[in-house]
Amino acid sequence: MPAQAAPFRFDPLSAEFAADPYAVYARMRALDGLFPFPELGMLLVTRQRDVAAIVADIRLPRMPAGILDADELERRQRQDNFHDMPNHARFVQFSMLNSDGAVHDRLRRQVFRMFTPALIAGQRAAIEAYVSRLISDLAGAGEVDFVADLAVHVPGHVIGHLLGVPDADCPMLRRWSESIVQYFDVDRSAERKALAEATAAEFADYLRALKADRLRVPKDDLVTRLVEAERAGEMSEDEFISTAMLILMAGHGSTIDVLGSGMHALLRFPEEMERLRADPALMPTAVQEMFRFESPLPFFDRYAAEEVEVGGTLYPRGTRFGLLYGAANRDGEQFADPDRFDVGRTPNRHLAFGGGAHFCLGNHLARLDMDIIFSTLFRTFRRIELVEAPLYKRSLSVRGPMALKLRLEAA
Amino acid sequence: MPRITFVEADGRTTEADGVVGQSVMAVAVASGIEAILAECGGACACGTCHCHVDAAWIDRLSPPSETEAAMIECVVDPRQESRLTCQIRLTDALDGLVLHVPATQY
Repeated sequence: MPAQAAPFRFDPLSAEFAADPYAVYARMRALDGLFPFPELGMLLVTRQRDVAAIVADIRLPRMPAGILDADELERRQRQDNFHDMPNHARFVQFSMLNSDGAVHDRLRRQVFRMFTPALIAGQRAAIEAYVSRLISDLAGAGEVDFVADLAVHVPGHVIGHLLGVPDADCPMLRRWSESIVQYFDVDRSAERKALAEATAAEFADYLRALKADRLRVPKDDLVTRLVEAERAGEMSEDEFISTAMLILMAGHGSTIDVLGSGMHALLRFPEEMERLRADPALMPTAVQEMFRFESPLPFFDRYAAEEVEVGGTLYPRGTRFGLLYGAANRDGEQFADPDRFDVGRTPNRHLAFGGGAHFCLGNHLARLDMDIIFSTLFRTFRRIELVEAPLYKRSLSVRGPMALKLRLEAA
Repeated sequence: MPRITFVEADGRTTEADGVVGQSVMAVAVASGIEAILAECGGACACGTCHCHVDAAWIDRLSPPSETEAAMIECVVDPRQESRLTCQIRLTDALDGLVLHVPATQY
C-alpha cells in the first residue's frame, strides 16, 4: 500500500457524503492521481475511462489469491475483518462474484441462460400482475413510503420466483440478504460480523433443504437447474449454495435502492418525469439513466495481478483498486452535462452494472422490474409528489434512500 | 491499418480504420456505432456487441470459442454468420471486413 496521505479527508459514512457523494467524487476526479484510502488498503479510481479500462482488463481480477502470498492474504483477511466466519467464508466470501478465470466462467456458464433478455422478457406478464396488485393496494393510501410500501416487495419476490423459492419465504430471504450484504460495507463491527456469519449458516441450511426438495420433485426453476448441474459434476454443493445465495442477494437490495433513487430523480427533475409520461417509449433509456445517475452499487474492487498502468501511472503487482462507479458515471469527460438527469440519454455507456467477466448477470431483470413499476405508477397516478426530502443510506458500497415519502393522486 | 465497414440496420454505412490487435467492438465504439452497446466492455459476458458478418467474410474468421458460441445462442436473431465483435481481433488479413449491425441488441 502506498504510504502517501489523502489530499483531503474522505469519510464515506458521514451524513455529508450520504447527502451528496457527487461533490466529493468531483473533487476526487479533479486530482492528478488516484485517491489513497488506507482504511481499506486501496487506491480509489473515479474517472470513467480508468474504471472502464480496469473492469475489462483480465490482469486485474476480483480476488488477490495467486497474487499475494499466504501471509499477506491472511493479513488482508484480518484487515477486512473477514476471518473467523466459516460459513460466510464458504458461501459468501467464495462466490461466482468473488472468483476469477476458469472457476468463475464455469459457475457463470451454469446460470447465464436463465438471465438472457428473451428469457427475462418472458417474466413480464407475471411481474406486471404482481406489481399491479401491489400498486392498486396503494391507490387509496394518499401518502406512502415508496421504498417500504412498494420497492422492497418487488425484486426479491421476482428473483425468488425465478429461483424457485416459495413466495411466503421471500420477505425472510430479503432480511437475510440485507444482513449479509451489509457486512460488505465499510462498517465491519463485531455485531454486524456475528449477524452476517449466523445468517450465512441459516441461509445455507435453507438452500440445502430446498435442494433436497428438488431432488425429490424437480421443477422448472433455477434451483432445479443448479441441482442438475451439481449432479452432473459441474459444481460442488458449496458452489450450489453460494451461487443460489448470490443470485438471491446480488440484485435484490440494489434494485430496491435504484428504484428509490430513480423515483427521487424523477421528482427532482419534474420536466423529465413529464417527458417520460408523455413518451413511454423512453422508458428503457430512462431506466438506464436511473442507474447512471444514482448507481446503487457504486463501489467494487480489483487487484493488480501484474504491474499495470492506470491513468498514465504504473502501479505494482498486488495494488488494490477501489472502483467508484458512482463517480465514473458522473464524469463529464464521458457524459455531457453529467449532473443532469436525462431520460432520453443516448448513448449511455454507464458502469453501474460493472464490466468485464463480472458484468451484472441480472441487469435485464432489474431493468424489467423498474420498467414495469414506473409504467404502472404512471398509469395509476396522475400526480406523484414528494412529501419530504429523503435521507440516503450512509455507505460507500450501496446508494439509495432509506425512505421516500410520496403523495399519490389517482388518475 | 485494417479498414472495417459497418452497415447499420437503417442502411447507414461507416468505414473505420482499426489497429492490428484491437477488437472490432472497440473500433465500432470509437467510430460512434451506437447500436454496438458492448455493455460488458469486451469480456464476452453480455452479448450486446452482436453483428452479422458479411457472407463474403465469414469463412475468413476463426470460429467462435465455446463461450462465445453459447452467448450467441442467446442474442436477438442469431444466425450462422453471427459473431460477438469483442471476440474478433483485427489482423491485416481482415482489411476490408464488412459487418452488418442489427437494429437492436436485446
